[in-house]
Amino acid sequence: MASSTTANSSNPANKALMIGIIGIVLTIPGIFVSGGAKVAFAWLTAMTFWTGMAIGMLMLIMIHHIVDASWSTVIRRQFEHGISAFKWLGLLFVPLVVASIIDPSILWKYLDPSYDLANVGGHGTVGSDVLWQKKSGLLSLEFFLGFTIVSYLGWILLANRFRRCSFSQDADGDILWTRKSRFWSAVGLPFMAITLSLCVILWVKALDYHWFSTMFGVWYFAECVRGALAIGILMMCYLTTRGDYRGVLNKNHWYSIGMLSFAFTVFWAYVTFSQYFLIWNANIPEETFWYNIREIQNSTGEPNQWKWIGMLLLFGHFFVPFFGLISYPAKVSKKWMKIMASWIIFIILIDIIYNVWPSKKDALGDPVAFAGVHMIWTLTAVIGVGGICAWSYFKSFPTAKLIPTRDPRIGESLTYHE
Amino acid sequence: MAASTHGVIATFNTASDIYHAAEKVRDAGFTNWDCITPCPVHGLDSAMGVTRSKVPRFSLAGGVIGFCTGMSMIFFTGAVDYPLIVGGKPFFSPMFAFPVAYELTILFTAFATIGGMFFLNGLPMHYHPVLKTDHIHAGLDDKFLIVIESSDPNYDTAKSLLEAAGGTEITEIES
Repeated sequence: MASSTTANSSNPANKALMIGIIGIVLTIPGIFVSGGAKVAFAWLTAMTFWTGMAIGMLMLIMIHHIVDASWSTVIRRQFEHGISAFKWLGLLFVPLVVASIIDPSILWKYLDPSYDLANVGGHGTVGSDVLWQKKSGLLSLEFFLGFTIVSYLGWILLANRFRRCSFSQDADGDILWTRKSRFWSAVGLPFMAITLSLCVILWVKALDYHWFSTMFGVWYFAECVRGALAIGILMMCYLTTRGDYRGVLNKNHWYSIGMLSFAFTVFWAYVTFSQYFLIWNANIPEETFWYNIREIQNSTGEPNQWKWIGMLLLFGHFFVPFFGLISYPAKVSKKWMKIMASWIIFIILIDIIYNVWPSKKDALGDPVAFAGVHMIWTLTAVIGVGGICAWSYFKSFPTAKLIPTRDPRIGESLTYHE
Repeated sequence: MAASTHGVIATFNTASDIYHAAEKVRDAGFTNWDCITPCPVHGLDSAMGVTRSKVPRFSLAGGVIGFCTGMSMIFFTGAVDYPLIVGGKPFFSPMFAFPVAYELTILFTAFATIGGMFFLNGLPMHYHPVLKTDHIHAGLDDKFLIVIESSDPNYDTAKSLLEAAGGTEITEIES
């Protein structure tokens, strides 16, 4: 008995599950300390962050299949383990939905037309708000519920397809599995584009449903893929250090994933800057208020903490990774890439917080500050959900070979050169 | 006489032969030499000891110049040469100068990359002494060639080294 306990605690899956449960349990006291609304925001931050990571992995798998990529075959398997988390993410999203149906005022005000906007610095009710009326087809409980359920089910289905096709090919080496994966990528990519955009609109952007931005879905896509690439790099580091990937990866795999990370850094900056620039240039109140509350207090006009978080994102989310990943020696250095990947994951979390939290406003319309007790619950929620995702990855890891050994592109991938 | 010879050329029959011969030439410390192959030979770069291209440095310089050009152009026209209030915006802001600076970054990076490549590889080159030899035709067809130039400080040992490395038809090239 004692020896099996020791074996269990050294198993990374059990360790991850433990961390996940501890994180979730530690979030619960937040309901009594900071109130249910703040914990709901914290939970939403964690869900948006980790669902985004899984979406990014799914997107990378589909892009791999649709362009018939070769070099990424050896690391694709890790993403296939990663996307097993979708079913647990779907389950972990349920508390948000249930809480919102019981009391829509805690998170998504648009779900309740009788909500009094004076609570968040506005006037009248949601139902009497002309901007809500115009958008009510989208911003209703029926659409929110239906679309979130369809999205999660679709993601789970796609994840199962790709996992089954890839794992089955290990056994029989049938080329048909590759063709099937390609088919599901062609079907899945437009599905992902629509679901990830609309989900982040319903979950995050519509927290301030007055706002307009055509960039928001693309911004989330950039965030998802950057995050997934960074997690991929960390997995490569971890499996190389542990010994699994020794002799499998060569310099060019590091170079290629580094190049993709660099490209998506520029893409993220392009999208994020465009969103800001178009709103700055047009100067329309229905749009500028979103950035205003992320810089100054609505009631006094004094600068608030979010201004500095915005500056941190400008430099930390773009300039640091841009110059950190620009050179060849940087991309092929495992040590440096580990630092960059960890930094990118951290700053993505800050970006999600920046997009979610300021929508939590008081009666004067001032956003909740960045620093505060509520960040503890955000952190525990992120660790909790992250632990469950890691558990799902480690649980799936031993069920398949380290790399897709009978994939038609595996030889090309193992001998990959520039 | 070293002055009237361009260098020495040797023939190898297979990609594997030239690969190992290149390693020997590299390890002997030669610097002014080259391989001529009818097809790409993977890994030959490292067997020859060729380091990564310096073109990215030109690219980076081009990008920085492009960005600064874009920013200063908008600054000069908008804030110095012809100040005009448009849409209630300041005379100069990096915000609206950014799209122009960004485009010029890309454009100048592309120019510097292409220019830097031609500068470093010396192309276009209309004549090369190696073209005078008879070997070159086989080198474009099914043979693999190594040329060691007479300007190399170790040139005296070149012939014996190529012989030892398994090269055949070792001939001097007229300059």
